[in-house]
Amino acid sequence: MKKKTFIQKRSMRSQSMYHMMMLPGMIFVLIFSYVPMFGIIMAFQDYVPAKGILGSEFVGLKHFKYMFSLPDIWQILTNTVVIAVGKIILGTVMAIAFAILLNEIRVRFFKKTVQTIVYLPHFLSWVVLAAVVINMVNLDGPVNHIIQMLGFDKVNFLGSNTWFRPMIIVTDVWKEFGYNSIVYLAAITAIDPGLHEAAAIDGANWWKRVWHITLPGMLPIILLMAAMSLTSILSAGFDQIYNLYSPMVYQTGDVLDTYVYRMGLISRQYSFSTAVGLLRSAVGMVLMLAANGLAKKFTDRKIF
Amino acid sequence: MRRRLFIKRVLSIATVSALAVSLSACAGGAGGQEEAVSAADGPLGAYEDTLVCSMGRSTIANPKFPEGDSYEDNAYTRYLKEKLNVEVKDSFEANGEDYDRQVSLAIASGELPDVMRVSSKDVLDELVENDLVEDLTDVYDEYASDYIKEVYDSYDGRCLDGAMYDGRLMALPGTNYDAAPCVVFIRQDWVDDLGMKIDEDGDGCLTIDELENITKTFVEKDPGNTGNPVGLAFAPYLTSGDYGGSGYTMMAIGAAYKAFPGSWLEDEDGNLYNGSTTEGMKATLAKLAEWFQKGLVDPQFGTRTWDDITALLTNGQTGITFGPWHLPDWLLNNVRSMDPDAEFSTYTICDDNGKVNVIHNNAVNGYMVVRKGYSNPEVLIKIANLFFDEIVNNKNLETEQPEVYQYVTTVDNSARPIQVELNKNTYLVDEYSDIKNCVDGKISMDEVRSIESKTNVEAINRYLADPANSEVTDWSKYTSRMKSMELIDRLTNEGKLEWDTPVFFDTTETMRTNNADLNKLQEETFVAIVTGSKPVDEFDAFVDAWSSRGGEQITKEVQEIIDAQ
Amino acid sequence: MVQKKGIVSNLGRGTIYFIVFLLGLICLLPLLNIVAVSFSGSAAVAGNRVGFLPVDFTVAAYEKILGDHQFWRSFGISVLRVVLALILNLVLITLMAYPLSKSKREFKGRNIYMNLLIFAMLFNGGMIPTYIVVKNLGLLNSVWSLVLPGAVPIFSVIMVMNFFMGVPKALEEAAVIDGATPLQVLTKVYLPCSKPVIATIALFSIVGSWNDFFSGLIYMTKVNNYPLQTYIQSLSVKLEDMLNAGGSLSSLVNVMDVSSQNLNAAKIVVSVIPLLLIYPLLQKYLITGIVVGSVKE
Repeated sequence: MKKKTFIQKRSMRSQSMYHMMMLPGMIFVLIFSYVPMFGIIMAFQDYVPAKGILGSEFVGLKHFKYMFSLPDIWQILTNTVVIAVGKIILGTVMAIAFAILLNEIRVRFFKKTVQTIVYLPHFLSWVVLAAVVINMVNLDGPVNHIIQMLGFDKVNFLGSNTWFRPMIIVTDVWKEFGYNSIVYLAAITAIDPGLHEAAAIDGANWWKRVWHITLPGMLPIILLMAAMSLTSILSAGFDQIYNLYSPMVYQTGDVLDTYVYRMGLISRQYSFSTAVGLLRSAVGMVLMLAANGLAKKFTDRKIF
Repeated sequence: MRRRLFIKRVLSIATVSALAVSLSACAGGAGGQEEAVSAADGPLGAYEDTLVCSMGRSTIANPKFPEGDSYEDNAYTRYLKEKLNVEVKDSFEANGEDYDRQVSLAIASGELPDVMRVSSKDVLDELVENDLVEDLTDVYDEYASDYIKEVYDSYDGRCLDGAMYDGRLMALPGTNYDAAPCVVFIRQDWVDDLGMKIDEDGDGCLTIDELENITKTFVEKDPGNTGNPVGLAFAPYLTSGDYGGSGYTMMAIGAAYKAFPGSWLEDEDGNLYNGSTTEGMKATLAKLAEWFQKGLVDPQFGTRTWDDITALLTNGQTGITFGPWHLPDWLLNNVRSMDPDAEFSTYTICDDNGKVNVIHNNAVNGYMVVRKGYSNPEVLIKIANLFFDEIVNNKNLETEQPEVYQYVTTVDNSARPIQVELNKNTYLVDEYSDIKNCVDGKISMDEVRSIESKTNVEAINRYLADPANSEVTDWSKYTSRMKSMELIDRLTNEGKLEWDTPVFFDTTETMRTNNADLNKLQEETFVAIVTGSKPVDEFDAFVDAWSSRGGEQITKEVQEIIDAQ
Repeated sequence: MVQKKGIVSNLGRGTIYFIVFLLGLICLLPLLNIVAVSFSGSAAVAGNRVGFLPVDFTVAAYEKILGDHQFWRSFGISVLRVVLALILNLVLITLMAYPLSKSKREFKGRNIYMNLLIFAMLFNGGMIPTYIVVKNLGLLNSVWSLVLPGAVPIFSVIMVMNFFMGVPKALEEAAVIDGATPLQVLTKVYLPCSKPVIATIALFSIVGSWNDFFSGLIYMTKVNNYPLQTYIQSLSVKLEDMLNAGGSLSSLVNVMDVSSQNLNAAKIVVSVIPLLLIYPLLQKYLITGIVVGSVKE
């Protein structure tokens, strides 16, 4: 009896303490995220900076209707989703695979050096990297030399609607997999090595142990990262594509962001780009909630 | 203390959060007229008390200020303080697109600087419609110096009209002189090596067939010894706004077919049309497609970046390129640095009748505006007088203002606290005649009108003294002035140029929404036709699609605007 | 203890080493190219002749950087913002992640907070409203404008929360019975077990602040106040954009100054060095973190 009231008291105290711990962060979120959210209204206006949000004319769903009336909108959405999904899948797989492989490396110097090197491309902007990529994959570049040596025809990666998307996906994975693997490495370190030892004694080979111990151990973080990356399903990476595409590959490479950017060059399209952003957020939210639901159903583990 | 202020601000913003965003946007309009600082009369009358003028400054990457100087504090701003007692304070400094963004943010937050540059007509429209900028009609009439008025008059009103709203001058437009035609630069050292004879009549004009033959010879003989000659290399976009930006485009070739893609022109009967949709455009594309087929156009056409093409030229994979007259100053100099034997001759392309078709540039490039309610709107005009009359026309600048003189000759123009250019429409021909006469010894250095021309004469003389061992920069000045400018001068004097005037340069309502789509359609189709992935007749389908996807509506809107003028 | 060799065969291990080596190599190439460019002569760079070794070797670009005051000023601003953001982020993230790792029974209101955070992570009002807020707080041109808007990286909060959820309850209960307050539980029990994840989010924070150039472009109205990446970004202009914007001849000449390409490359190289130094420091926590699993129930 006495003990229960003690716990209740403690719990009351903890409750207010928990709120206190949330408070500082929530103030920042309120000021820098929620206050500016009034800007979302712009998506339903013809926003003119000089008139402000109160003064600009309301136009309802005009910008959304216009977006879906664009002759190329389905092509653009397809490009965006295909490239984004390709990056998410290949990028996640590569990052996880690399983390697992690296974890097997026992020579500490080698391990540390490689890890540092693969994380470097993340810090180079696409403006800079695009120049490197162009030199690698153009008709006279080393990639085409190798292709020719293997007995195939040269491929104009930058101008081919067959090869442009794969090239975008692969080069993006190349830039980011090292950096993305960091979080998986952290996850691997959290796995009890005793489990591995026990499994080895039971005669499980390396593949089996990766499959039955390492991957399940990483599952929470894999789910979290996958759910997060789903929110970017409508952003295929503006800087990369902008610096590599050309009219020749608009058909497969023109994505939402590049299109909105070109619109903005003609006249400032704040309302339209806000509308696109809103659509992106809404889709991202639906996908993330769905992922959370699925995760709960199948693995009995909520992501958030 | 600061901390409490911060917390107070946080609280205030949290409570009136809904209004904070919108209220501040209105603050700008409610300023009212501030009390003017009095000044002496005249175009360069100094202020009695220091006039502080806040500015939005459009900058460039890698500015080359002498040690310790900045945009806010440099020889020009110090000179401005000395002469007019005006102190410049920068509200924001940024470069290119980032500058335009800062302008939008300043407008949105309701705090405009006193004076700023506005790059596009769109933004100027917005400022005028919402009564955020001063009417400059009266201060222009009263304060602009005679020479400045002369400069604007040389455009027959085409320039000032660009900033007129209901007959009132709402901004000081920057000028943009005519720089036509698009010049074709050809490696003369290769021509000599191969013993070729080009332009035998010496009129500076090549026909399309002559260009084809030269290209063919270059591709076959590979005079650059690279083993991989590429023929004609073009940027993926086919056109540019005017001749100043025509580098690596196909404007020169289009002109031979009277094709001016993107420009709004009128035919003989006064019917409005867009230059992208003409038979001439189709013929241009057909010719390029034929050349692509024959291997005379770069096999990677459509995907080359600007840097790629510069590299092709520098490496000697191609020796023919197209661009504005000043290309040797900033691109072809790389070719010369790499290969000290490189020489370029300049030509242009004529049509079947031997005429060179050209259009006038948009006479306006950028606008300077004064915030509504600013105490001394005339200061903008005085600054213009100081920088585009006083400094330009002062023969003794070198001795009287050595520091300013050094800036004029070595520091780029973005350092000036006024970020448009004011030059006469005849700028090129004037500069050429001064340079030519001075180099030939017909006039003395003192008689050369502009400081820029003087420095160029010195460079050219250095080059001529020892062409083989000259500095690359001297070679550049020689090539751009004594070759490109000479060509333009000659064609002008001989009456070879056939001028047309675009009737509209701005943006209409439907352009705002539909141009991204139309441009995409155009770029895609044109590239596809040239590379042969679509037949030339696809052009007709393009014209239909262009009309139905907004082109027809836009044409109607442009017609209405012209009719209203 | 099982022998390491027994876990993976020699052949398998050789393959793994080879694959990892290859991956490392292809990631090294772009950087090698940029380093080579930074040490090459300008004409060779313009001619696109520089591969992975310098052509016409010169250190002129690095000498120029040494004399570029703005570069070092921006470098200092970047270091300052990284430190401030790191401290603020770590404090706020861990403070928030702990209560959020409780079930909604243990912490009433937990789900409301969570939903608010997720909504804020997904939706934003865009550039202009955020600018107006920052401006009204008087933060323009202050280093705080680079730090405060990103004070709560929500993704990191969720990640740390997830790790905290995996910390064995027994440890916490023991501490609570000893009379520890939630704050003490966080610092004495949770943080020590979570070094790998803390190191990870610290790295995210450092890298994010160091790499971000856009807030500098918006909130800093003068080059003097630019952080390093903003400064570097402002140097590499696309020529096409300049021509289309009607750039004047003098500015074209300046931008195309033959020395600028290798100079910009050198600036990139120098700007990456701090990240090269930071990483190994945090690496030891990432590779051999304290094993949470060893205390699992």
